Amino acid sequence: MTAKKIPWAALVVLVICFGLGLGYAWAISPVKYVDAEPNTLRDDFKDHYRSAIAAAYASNADLERARARLALLNDPDPSQALTAQAQRMLAVGESPETIQQVASLASALQGKVAVDPLPDATDTLTQGSETSTQLVSTPIVATETSEPTTEVEATNTPLPVLTATLRPTQIPTVTLGAPYQLVGQDTLCDPELAQGLLQVVVIDKRRQHIPGAEIIITWNSGEEHIFTGLKPELGNGYADFLMTPDVTYSVRMADGGTPASELSAPECTNSDDNPNQGGFRITFQQP
Amino acid sequence: MPRWLPILVAAVLGLTLGLVYGWVINPVQYTDITPDALRIDYRTDYVLMVAEAYQAEQDPALAAQRLAVLGSNPPALIAGEAFQFAQQSTYPADDLALIQELAVALQTWQPIPGTSLP
Repeated sequence: MTAKKIPWAALVVLVICFGLGLGYAWAISPVKYVDAEPNTLRDDFKDHYRSAIAAAYASNADLERARARLALLNDPDPSQALTAQAQRMLAVGESPETIQQVASLASALQGKVAVDPLPDATDTLTQGSETSTQLVSTPIVATETSEPTTEVEATNTPLPVLTATLRPTQIPTVTLGAPYQLVGQDTLCDPELAQGLLQVVVIDKRRQHIPGAEIIITWNSGEEHIFTGLKPELGNGYADFLMTPDVTYSVRMADGGTPASELSAPECTNSDDNPNQGGFRITFQQP
Repeated sequence: MPRWLPILVAAVLGLTLGLVYGWVINPVQYTDITPDALRIDYRTDYVLMVAEAYQAEQDPALAAQRLAVLGSNPPALIAGEAFQFAQQSTYPADDLALIQELAVALQTWQPIPGTSLP
């Protein structure tokens, strides 16, 4: 019995040609994706996508539709992704309107359209102005169905189909650009807080936090611009600033309105009778 | 059997296996896709978002800027294609009207010279 000769030459050619074929398929002519899904988008384009979702939400206030669209991006926590995006947008100086749209959607997803706890005096100011919402009918997005269309290649991903289901949706009436009113100025002597902490809260007429609002803090030798929404855990209309002792500050909204003036870190005493620097909590409201 | 025949068969087999593996079994995985590669229904929904925003903002330049991420075609053409797909896919009348309004606005909109879209 004789052993068969191994066809080494053919095997070598097979391996080489396999490598050539693989190189062609991966490098020279790779599979072209023409029917991509939003979750495969590059990060900066995902930001564009979220901004568009937020702009649409700002227009139609349809949270379910916004939620369904955000789900396409497969973010682990869509509201966190939106908040992080709002901060990136602030850092690069994008328009406050766009930032506000993104931050507002983040707030809505978190269910943080809630009311800011204002002093009783403010309650009186806002009473009588809380009925100015309107009811409009807007379509909502239906959930995804698995109907493939004839226009695109069949894939395993269900195709979103929109169906008309009308329902009343409350659209908040925000008066953009209206001057803000100073509705609260409280002295803080909480030893738990940082010394000289100046807290600013910006709310709308329904006392909902307004994210992305620009605040200007001035003192005799300088000026600082801060924005609400960078600490969403403290509220999307919250911003803060550390005051230097013995410096007098003035705080106003960039969009105009009543300023808070003559602010200087107050002297407080803690439980051990030791003096320390207190702070302020300033509240601006859009009428 | 000629001596070159096994070599030729091996070459063809090797190439075929390589292509099948590279194109079908384990193709290149893309993770950084640009929006122009989005599936038509997602592109249409993106256009619908822009149309919804346009309804409130009435700013065709901003709408065109948003649509520019979908490719280099004129914004009016992008909106028009989306409208066609939305019609074929029986989108709700309200959504169709929004996309149509955007498409019409972009057809008459002229970009200001010197400005560029992203």
